[in-house]
Amino acid sequence: MKTRLSRRTMLRGVLAGAAVSVGLPMFEAMLNDTGTALAGGAPLPKRFGIFFWGNGILPDRWVPAGTGPTWDPSPQLMPLSSMKKKISVVSGMKVYTGNTVPHGSGPVGMLSGAPFPKDDSNTFQLPSIDQVIANEIGDATRFRSLELGVQRSSSSLSYNGLHSTNPQEWSPRALFDRVFGGGFTAPGDTPKADPRLGLRRSVLDAISADAKRLEGKLGAADKARLDQHLTGIQKLESQLKKFEENPPTLAACKVPAEPADDYPDIDGRPQLATVSRMMSDILAMALACDQTRVFSMWFSTPVNNLLYPNAKAGHHQLTHDEPAEQPQVFDILSYVMTELNYLLTTLDGVKEGDTTLLDNSVVLATSDCSYGKAHSIEDYPILLAGSCGGTLKAGVHYRSPASENTSKVLLSLARAMGLSMSEYGLEGGHVTDSLSAIEV
Amino acid sequence: MTTMRSSRQSPGTRPLRGIALACALLAGCGSDGGSASSEPPKDTLGPKPDAPRVAAQTGAQRLSTLQYAASLRFVFGDDVVVPPALEPDAAQDGFVSVGSSYTTISPRGVEQYEKGSYDVATQVVTQEARRKASLPCTPSSIADETCFRSIAKVVGRRLFRRQLDETETSALVQVAQKAASALSDPLQGVTYELAALMQSPSFLFRVSLGEPDPAHPGKRRYTSSEMASRLSFFLWNGPPDDELLDAADLGALTTDAGLAQQAQRMLASPKARAGLRNFVSEWLDLGRLDTLSKDPMIFTSYTPDIGKYMREETLHVFERLVFDDEADYRGVFLSQKTWVNPKLAALYQIAAPNPDGFGEVTLPDDGPRRGLLGHAGILALYAHPVSSSATLRGKFVRATLLCGGIPPPPVNVNTALPEPSATAITLRERIKPHLDVAACAACHKRMDPIGLGLENFDGLGRYRVKESTAVIDPSGDLDGVPFADGKELGKVVSEHPDVLSCLTRKMYRYATGFAELPDEEATLTELTWELRAANARVKPLMLAMVMSSGFRLSGDPR
Repeated sequence: MKTRLSRRTMLRGVLAGAAVSVGLPMFEAMLNDTGTALAGGAPLPKRFGIFFWGNGILPDRWVPAGTGPTWDPSPQLMPLSSMKKKISVVSGMKVYTGNTVPHGSGPVGMLSGAPFPKDDSNTFQLPSIDQVIANEIGDATRFRSLELGVQRSSSSLSYNGLHSTNPQEWSPRALFDRVFGGGFTAPGDTPKADPRLGLRRSVLDAISADAKRLEGKLGAADKARLDQHLTGIQKLESQLKKFEENPPTLAACKVPAEPADDYPDIDGRPQLATVSRMMSDILAMALACDQTRVFSMWFSTPVNNLLYPNAKAGHHQLTHDEPAEQPQVFDILSYVMTELNYLLTTLDGVKEGDTTLLDNSVVLATSDCSYGKAHSIEDYPILLAGSCGGTLKAGVHYRSPASENTSKVLLSLARAMGLSMSEYGLEGGHVTDSLSAIEV
Repeated sequence: MTTMRSSRQSPGTRPLRGIALACALLAGCGSDGGSASSEPPKDTLGPKPDAPRVAAQTGAQRLSTLQYAASLRFVFGDDVVVPPALEPDAAQDGFVSVGSSYTTISPRGVEQYEKGSYDVATQVVTQEARRKASLPCTPSSIADETCFRSIAKVVGRRLFRRQLDETETSALVQVAQKAASALSDPLQGVTYELAALMQSPSFLFRVSLGEPDPAHPGKRRYTSSEMASRLSFFLWNGPPDDELLDAADLGALTTDAGLAQQAQRMLASPKARAGLRNFVSEWLDLGRLDTLSKDPMIFTSYTPDIGKYMREETLHVFERLVFDDEADYRGVFLSQKTWVNPKLAALYQIAAPNPDGFGEVTLPDDGPRRGLLGHAGILALYAHPVSSSATLRGKFVRATLLCGGIPPPPVNVNTALPEPSATAITLRERIKPHLDVAACAACHKRMDPIGLGLENFDGLGRYRVKESTAVIDPSGDLDGVPFADGKELGKVVSEHPDVLSCLTRKMYRYATGFAELPDEEATLTELTWELRAANARVKPLMLAMVMSSGFRLSGDPR
């Protein structure tokens, strides 16, 4: 399809009362009077994100006092206190998919609602929640999802299914180039037709045909692997199409500041805050420009042994060896929460009508276990930021009275994002009820 | 997730909830192979065991990042700039080569391979010398179908490691013609044609389907072309060269003589050194030395680049042992010679043999350091960022060198060690509960007494006599054989009954791309016999591996 919708055409379409697909970008003039929806009635797009850090929490200083809307930030949540009205704390939930692998059982259950595969292989059986959502809404935007790392690690826990993870971008420069480089058209600029995009698509067509022919000869397991490859090829084709057809027109969209080429360690310690903030700034604009609606930000990996400022040992080692109140572990968690706060504040700073980007998003913030020292998966750390376009309660503390299943949160999130699901997860992680206490 | 699950778990392992022990009860602390400790005494070889012909598992491997780079360098020149960001490798059963049999390509990976393919194709097309060296022709016009076809066939065969069929060839010609005419430039046609080749699943995956084996009715074998890839990725960790592709086209690799001839040629090539280095690096997990992180306040010799020097020491020592000295593998635990640069020499407190780089050095007769277990890379890798670790080092010897199974620690137990105190200064004193509490001892007695033998080396591998104010006791025992210190530990490991069968097992996994199933144990026993018959030299083992049924017979595609 070579046709390109001009701003004028889109306006005309809306004015004439034509249905506006949620796949199209929008701008201020297209919002209704109150800025809560598009003129014509279609709601603003919702975004879903994960913010993840490794090595868990200190439960006695994590869970806030008070429940419902009247709660006080706990010592560990203090860095988020200015965003309190937009964050819900969900505590007392438990991962029910088994606890056999320290730092591994938590994320597989929390993020996918399913246990490790029966053959004990090192992978997720079901897609992680971000990919469940991307499978449903990812085709509307250029990137079905974006995976970012703050720690320098190329693998993420964003899983498409068995043995298929989504590599993460840990270089702000690489993320910037990927989203905003290579002929990105800023709002107001006139896009230039580029025949290369069409040729790249014809190459992808040719290799799709290769993959399909090969598939027919393979055994079932390899066929499924090649099928993943084929899906990826088709996704890239549609990504290129979007790039051709869909220059962003959102009012808040602008090209973010260019990051440095590299952020090397200083005295053996990574520049986590600097990288995290660059990533947050670029991510906010990728969302504001409607280049994606699904993201995951992997601040640090499970079992990471990063040396944080002033810490006398790596993070993982401290969680096990630091005695008593673990003041260094506490400081590390405060550091991570400060960077989560930066991300959320940045998203909240992007206006969309009379709401903000954060209001139209939900960000699930969680870790690989509860108490790092013991690898527990009871009383799992779960924060939900943003009200997902008014479908989730923001600013409440829900304390589960009976160690409810964390998969209930996943079902709530999927439904809030518009998926019509009646159940979630497998085996111990299987639920048919969502967590209605956090739903509007 | 590879850091979390490095090996298959024992089915008996279950979480132990809410127990505040400093360690763990574990069932299944045995060897991870069926008959690992059945070797006869050293001096009696015995008759060659009779192994049934059993295939290893069969399936497609995704090129690892190193194999992808090696393939592009082979086809487009050693100095071609290979894309740095690619779908990452994932280890399974301790090996990336096994993980390659399971990994897929994600949507993001497709994007990365696409970008890489155009970056490389552009270099080939725009750099005249490279273009002339790697392409059979340069198209004279946008309609030069003959040249586009020739590129598809010649370059395609080297990238796909087999002949292309007519459907594949004509699809590539079509891509080239379309691009050439849309951009009015014949060379642009080549760019898109090359990019299509480099993104094809036939390049990115090594697909093996097999064919009926005429010599063994009812069984299947790999085709001659498939054998070319199996050989070259095992022995070279890279693609087949032209001579191997030619041999494959002639059907030579399904015959004993043809296969042996090529394998011997390949083992004599310098590329086999790179192949061995990759095996050792995956087996001992030396890749992690790239990101070795130690507290510079505690380890004043630590610099961010020291990890890669440590790895070079270990890889060089293996390379020399296997290819230059053609010596007994077990010598790696005893050797008084090693390979250091000034930084490592300073760490070892010896004179640097070469002020500008690496050189061979003979360690002092009365020094504490001998063999692989004295390599700083091993000592630093299997330790913590601020301290040594008898458990991690012991586990390395037990699981990596001797193939003994150690399940991951159970969850929900407090694994913190007591802080040093007046009554427990040394690590030996502090980890005593590991061995005193029965629940912990089940596994820790299989690790800690080994690792304590290396306590004279700190978390970076520097020799020390004392820990704080206390003199370190480096004695211990390995399966009942006592040793006085790390130097003696190396000798005890070299004489352990499982040391040769474990090398065989690890290499078999690496070579076949799959962890062995129970019915392949007989093949492993036979291969270990071959290794012993060859006086434990590694090259003959590699050759025997290539000739084995596990390497040549194909199972049903997964």
